[in-house]
This record gives sequence, structure tokens and C-alpha cells, in this order.
Amino acid sequence: MTNYLNLPVKEINELLKKKEIKVIDLINESFEKIEKNKDLNCFITLNKEEAIKTAEELDKKEVDSLLFGMPIIIKDNINTKNLRTTAASKMLENFIPIEDADVIKKIKDKNMIIIGKANMDEFAMGSSNQTSYFGPVKNPWNKTLVPGGSSGGCASSISSRIAPFALGSDTGGSIRQPASFCGIVGLKPTYGRVSRNGLIAFASSLDQIGPMTKNVYENALLLNEIVGPSNMDLTSIEREKEDFTRLIGEDIKGMKIAIPKFYMNENIDKEIREKLESVINILKENGCTIDYVDIAYIEQCVLLYQIIAMGEASSNLARFDGIRYGYSYENPKDFDDLYLKTRKIGFGSEVKRRIMIGSYLLSGDNANIYYNKALKIRNAVRNNFLKVFQDYDLIIGPTTTTKAYPLGKDLDDAVKSFLDDILTIPVNMAGLPGMSLPIGFGRCHLPIGMQIIAAPFNEAQIYKLGSFIEKTLNLDLEPKEGDKDE
Amino acid sequence: MSNYLKTIGIEVHVELKTNTKIFSNSTNGYGKSANSLTNLVDLGYPGTLPTLNKEVVNLAIKACKVLNCNIRREMYFDRKNYFYPDNPKNYQITQFRTPIGYDGYVEIEVDGKTKKIEIEEMHIEEDTCKSTHRKNVTLLDFNRAGVPLIEIVTKPCIETPEEAKLYIEKLRSLLLYADISDCKMEEGSMRCDANISVRKHKEDPFGTKVEIKNIGSINNVKLSLEKESLRQIELLDAGKTFKEQTRRFDNKTNDTVLMRVKETGNDYRYFPEPDIPKLVLTEEQIEKVINTIPLLPDERVKLYKEKNISDVNIKKLIQNKPLSDYLNTLLDSNIDFTVASNLLLGDISKYLNENEKNIYDTTLTKERFIDLVNKISDKTLTNKNVKDILDKLMEEETSIDEILKKSGIQNIKDKSLIEEIVEKIIDANPESVEDYINGHDRALKYLMGQIMKETKGTVNPQLASQTLQKSLEKRKILN
Repeated sequence: MTNYLNLPVKEINELLKKKEIKVIDLINESFEKIEKNKDLNCFITLNKEEAIKTAEELDKKEVDSLLFGMPIIIKDNINTKNLRTTAASKMLENFIPIEDADVIKKIKDKNMIIIGKANMDEFAMGSSNQTSYFGPVKNPWNKTLVPGGSSGGCASSISSRIAPFALGSDTGGSIRQPASFCGIVGLKPTYGRVSRNGLIAFASSLDQIGPMTKNVYENALLLNEIVGPSNMDLTSIEREKEDFTRLIGEDIKGMKIAIPKFYMNENIDKEIREKLESVINILKENGCTIDYVDIAYIEQCVLLYQIIAMGEASSNLARFDGIRYGYSYENPKDFDDLYLKTRKIGFGSEVKRRIMIGSYLLSGDNANIYYNKALKIRNAVRNNFLKVFQDYDLIIGPTTTTKAYPLGKDLDDAVKSFLDDILTIPVNMAGLPGMSLPIGFGRCHLPIGMQIIAAPFNEAQIYKLGSFIEKTLNLDLEPKEGDKDE
Repeated sequence: MSNYLKTIGIEVHVELKTNTKIFSNSTNGYGKSANSLTNLVDLGYPGTLPTLNKEVVNLAIKACKVLNCNIRREMYFDRKNYFYPDNPKNYQITQFRTPIGYDGYVEIEVDGKTKKIEIEEMHIEEDTCKSTHRKNVTLLDFNRAGVPLIEIVTKPCIETPEEAKLYIEKLRSLLLYADISDCKMEEGSMRCDANISVRKHKEDPFGTKVEIKNIGSINNVKLSLEKESLRQIELLDAGKTFKEQTRRFDNKTNDTVLMRVKETGNDYRYFPEPDIPKLVLTEEQIEKVINTIPLLPDERVKLYKEKNISDVNIKKLIQNKPLSDYLNTLLDSNIDFTVASNLLLGDISKYLNENEKNIYDTTLTKERFIDLVNKISDKTLTNKNVKDILDKLMEEETSIDEILKKSGIQNIKDKSLIEEIVEKIIDANPESVEDYINGHDRALKYLMGQIMKETKGTVNPQLASQTLQKSLEKRKILN
């Protein structure tokens, strides 16, 4: 088996341009690696036939960009025309979209090749990829551990070098947390940066599609191609076109960086804090100012998230009723029976739990007591973050409170799974861009990630600092055979 | 039966006359084959998002203006959550907390007095799909799903079924005139729900409220409210009580029928629609839209009165907006508006109805119409002449003079020519002249007949008659 896909994209691109390899070689390698890593359960649907056909067509064309012919993995809650899109739910087990999501149109325009639809938590609800109707995904660093979630299939397959690129989605940490658990780079862009048209909604005011890659530079490359407003998504925002790689390699001297005190509290795994301390020392040595700051309400964000995300989810998922598409209970007695049985059988237990809580939170006076109040506090959180950015270029901290944990653990503890996300959720609440990148390994050689958070639309600053840290640490981030068994 | 006071509130849903739907780009149309005007957004497919049709906002601004509502400058949309097969997303996008219009009114005439019907609020929302229940199946037509609606809610300030009817009539004419909706109740582009309760004295608390849903015509608004108030009064007089409930009006029995008793308040789990950002209206936008509102009925009545058009004709003109619009383009010209309105509402209206045409589809340009009116005013043309050449006036491009020539209608108006003819006829009929002098009036009729015969009807009858009489009188004196 070849290992071209382990190379930096720039080098693969050179080989393509020099015609030393063909696009079809990359595609074949992807599918060989998928086969080899079958036990990771990264994919729900493969796009083999179509991918090979496209590769053969592309091999007749000129290589016109860095992304030309690159295999890409798409989280299974992003609509792909004529390619099954399930959101990892029985409800959409046989759902084949008629249209591509906006981001899919964009990557197809760049001649990227979709190799498959990645496994995930059902409707992106979960932090360990254990709520998927298609079974859990495993962590390539240790197959008895979770890969994180909800974009677990994307993270696990990028870590396994099945493809250089993946598109995930992040509502409360669903890109960054699995990126951290699997030792890859994942960015949640500013809310509104990327069109959500074609993303199966979980919580509309928080959802955002973002790139997942093996390194920082390639992450910026993919972001370059997926941003931009859409006339099909009113929450997408028009910005001047920019090259997100432009600050990579620049001197970080003089950068002012803040660390929320909450992000280094003692509930966070000691190893993770230690790794972050060592990064802080490197940054200080290289001329950065680092200060610890207080951000009011940041510790309340998980509660706000539960109210807002579940409230919105309960409404967003109401459309799955068995009438127009998706799973439909056969021979119901009446409409109520159709609704009840379709939704009882079609949704998994975590999804149902969240729909029920969300419905309760919006019922009667509760909407005022909970939802509307949460929106207010959320505004305050955003303003508090923005205040920090008046004095600092970036905020850093750990991505997660723990490293990857064993499959099956805490499955029935609904609250615990949200606590995984206490460090990622504030970023969604404030609509900010945030990225997780690997900064080392803990016990049993498990990856540890750090988070870099910027002011709205300042993704380029994140990449600047991220690439510096990446280059300085120079970690070996490919899981080896030996790593995989404890 | 004792006297009861009625309290009525009315909610009207009106479909807006836009090209496309409110949150998607599918066509907004009526009467097309089922499910031909839908797309993924209308069907609530996973991953689809609403966009906002600016035309809808503009028409809503217009509606606010004609209903004298305050126009909100910053507003949100909300989701109303409920499961029903006609509701593709199982939530409806509406404006719950921030309706675009509020505190408005409509004026109606009750027994010669003006009454203000107060409007509580007016909001924008999407229509549901149309469901048809047949035995064991329900058929869904999503053509209507996402059609833009405004809902207009009055305060409970209507006191009689007649007032309710007058309000709906007025509302309809305002919305029709401002080109906001075609307001066809039979096609469902205007739908009416009414709430009614009765109580004995003004000081009493409101009685139990009953809602009558989906009233299908303006007459039924009045009829259903009359029937329902009677039903309530009979129950109360018999010492019975009833629960808050929803009823519908049955066309066959001409009475209201129970649909459901309201158990507890519906829980629609309203919350702000996260897919649509805050909508902000600028003063400039509002002004621009308001400037496009055509003249409203009351304004037209005032103008027509100034032109001395009869009350009967004014009423008819208001009921016929296309003709009223046509007449409005002529208001600056110096013509006899009595003649003009008679002509429009008489022969022209008859022609248009018979030929199923719009006045703008005819060759009767503004200039030709003015010419025609003037020719009637100065007696060049008789009513009969107009009837004879009407088809040509409406269908041919040539000038009226040309048409007259071709039709052999010359309508002789030349005084000396008329005198010449009159003299000729008098000379040829000495006995009739004799009869006239002796006081036999029918001789005049006979002589006129001879003149018409001589000229083959091309002489202006009034002028000829005048000339004849003058000439005869002269002879009478001379005699």
C-alpha cells in the first residue's frame, strides 16, 4: 500500500503536477486504508464508484490548485447529492439528498473528491460518537477508546491518514473535541462564516461547518474554499475574501494572549494542564504576553447550551414525522400513531432525550424562564469575550477536560457527556472561531489538544499562532500499529 | 328573549400577491396542479433554510399603512411549534412577539355614522399546505405551503354581526385597492375567523368566547355571527352554560357546528426563529413603499364628488377598481365627468363584461375616450350612435371621426345645413305645418320623422328638433 496521503498536501500536489502520481492513486490509497481501518467504523456510506470515476476524469485535466483531486471525507449530516446522508440516524437510514449543501458545491468546484460519509453521533448529539445508529467509532490511538464526537468519524479517519481533508460540524465542540482526542487539527469558524445551507440542523444558532485536517496549514487551505455568504442562508455573512494562510510563518513576537482562569481549573486533567503550561512557556520565550483573565458567565455556558441547543433541536427535529421523507412507521392507526411510532422507532435514545428536554424548556412559561433568559446571558457572554479581545489578540486554553476515555463509559450519564464540552461550548455561545490542535501526548500515548480562540472573523490569527506551536513542537502525529493496543 | 350585548373580534388571514413564496423561491400561484409549485424548502427537507422575500415585507408595510397601523422598525420572526400534517416543518414561521403592525384602525359607516374598528396587530407568517381528507386518506398539496400571509387581528370592539360584515367589506376593499391581495374568499386568499361572546350588561365581564373558524364568504360572516349569538343567548336564557369552544359555519344547515371544546390553552412553544436574523426597516424603505400605494376608496370618493359624479356612479366606480383606475388617469382633463362615468359604467362596462376584457386590452386610449366624451357632451354623438359604434371604438385603432365616416354616421351639426333641411321639409308638408299652428303637437313628431328620413338619421336630433320648433314658432307668429 502507498502512503502518499501521509505527506503534506503541498508535496502530494507536486507529485500530481509532475505526473509522478495520479489522482486515482490517491483515491485507491484512501479506499485501501478504509478497508485496513474497517474496525474503526469511520464511515456510514462510501462513495467508491463515483470517486473512482471522478478521479479518472480529473486525471485527464490540468492540476490547477493545491486541492485538485484531493480526497475529502464529509460528516454525514452534510447533504451530498445522490449520496446517502443519514445524520447517523435510523430516521434517515435511506435518505438520499436531491441537492448538495453549499459547502459541497464549493469543494466540488475545486475538484476535490468525496470518498465517503463519516460516522458521527446521531444528529450530532453526543461527545463520544457512541449515539450513532451505525455503531460507535473507535479511536485510532487506542481502539478501546472513544474518538470524541460528534464528528468522530472525521477525526478518526483524518488521524488514520485516510484522506487529508474532512468537513465536520461543530455545535458545542463537535469538531474540536474529537480533533483533540484523535490528535488532529479542527477549526470551528466564526458563526456565519460558512453557509449552513445543506447542513442538517441540530441547533441553528450554534451550528457551523468547519475543516478537519492533519495540520494547521492544510486546515487554512480548506477554510479558504468553504467560506462565503450564501443567498440560501440568511445567517451567513458577507466578508471580504481573504487568504487564511497569509499569516502562517509570521513572527509571533508581541502577540497578546489571554487564558481564562476557568480554563485551567483543577477539574481539568493535570497532564493536560501541564502540557498547556509548557506551551505557555514556549510562547513567553518567543515574545508573547500571557495573562490570566476572568470572563463572567463562562462557567454557565454549559447550562445555556443545554437550554438553547435542546430548545432549538426539539423544533428542528420536528420535521422528521414520517410523512414526506425518511423512516415512516407502516400502517399507523392515525396521525398521532404515525408521529409517535415513527419518532419512537426512528430516533435513538439520546436524540429523544434532548427533544423531550428541549420541548419542556420551551413549554408555556418556560420559554421565558429559560430560553429567553439564556439568550440574554449568551449575549453577555459574547460581550465579555469581545471585551477581552479589546486587549488581547487571542485566547488559549485546553480543548477538553480529559483525554480520550474508554468506549461505553458514562454512556448513561447524560450530564457527564455535556461536561466534556465545558471548554468548547463558550466559543459557540459567543459565535467565535476556535481551533483545537495537538500539543503532545499523555499517559498511554494519548493525544492532548489545546484550543485557540479569536475575535469574530479572526481565523487567520488562530492559524498564525497554531502553526507556530505546531512547528515548534514538531510532534509525530501518526498513530502507529503499536499505539493501537494498550 | 332578553337583550344581550355582543362582543366580536375578528382575525383575518390574507394571502399576499407576491410572485414567489415567503421563504423560498417557488412560485406563489393558485389553481395549479397539486404539488407543482413546491421545492425542498417548502417541503421542509433536512438542511434547508428559509430566506425572506422582500416583496412580502413591502406588501406588509403597505398593509400597515392602509390599516393605519404603527410600523415596527425592528422585528423578529418566531417559530410556532405544533404537529399537523399540513405543517411541513411541524413549526410555522410567524411573528409572535414583534408583529410588523400594531394599534391600527379601519373606519366603517354604521347607520350614517363613522365607527373605528380598532386593529390590535398585524403580522407576517407562512401559509400551511392544503389537506383534503377522503375517507381513510389525507391528501396534501404543498402548493400553498409557504405562501405569504398577513394576519390582521381586531380588538374585541365589534358590536353587531352587521358591523363585522362592514368591517370585512372595508378591509377587503382597502387591501384590494392597495394591491396587497386579491382577497378572494372563495379561493381562500382571504380567510376569516370570528370570536363572539354575549353578556347582559356593559358592566358584566365578557361572556364565554366561541371561535368560528374559516368563514367562507362575507355574507356568512354576518349570518354565522347572528346564528351563533342566537345559539348562545338561547342557552343562557335557558339557564345553561357552555365551554369555550371552536365551531365552524355549515353552509348546508346555515348554522354553526361544534369542532372542539378548548381544554387548556394551546402550547405552541414559541421561540425566536434562529434562521432569520433581526429584520430592520429603514425610514427610506418605508417611505418608498408607501409612495407606491394607489388612491384608496375614501380618497377616490372625495375626488369624484369634486367632479360632480353622482353618488350612484361613485359607488359603482369604487366597486369596479379597473374602471376607477382608468377614470383616475383622466381626472386632470377638462371633460364632463357625469358623461364620462355614465359611459364607463354603462356601455363600456357592458362591452367589457360581455367580451371578458379589461379596459386596457381595448383600443380605447385615454385620448380617444376624451374625444368620445366630448362628442357626446356637445351632442355630436347620440347614445344610439355610441351603441352602434362601440365595438369599433374598442377594437379598431382608427380615429373616432374616421369610424363615424365609415359607419355613415355623420351627425349633421352644421346649423345652416340643418336649417336648410328643416325648411325643405316644412315646405314639402304644408298640412302638417297647418296642424302644428292649430295646436296639434303630433305634427311636430311627424315632421321630425321626415327630417330623420330625409337625412337617413345622420342629423343631430336635438339640434334638428330645436331648429324645427323655432322655425314653426316663427310661422305661427307670422300667421
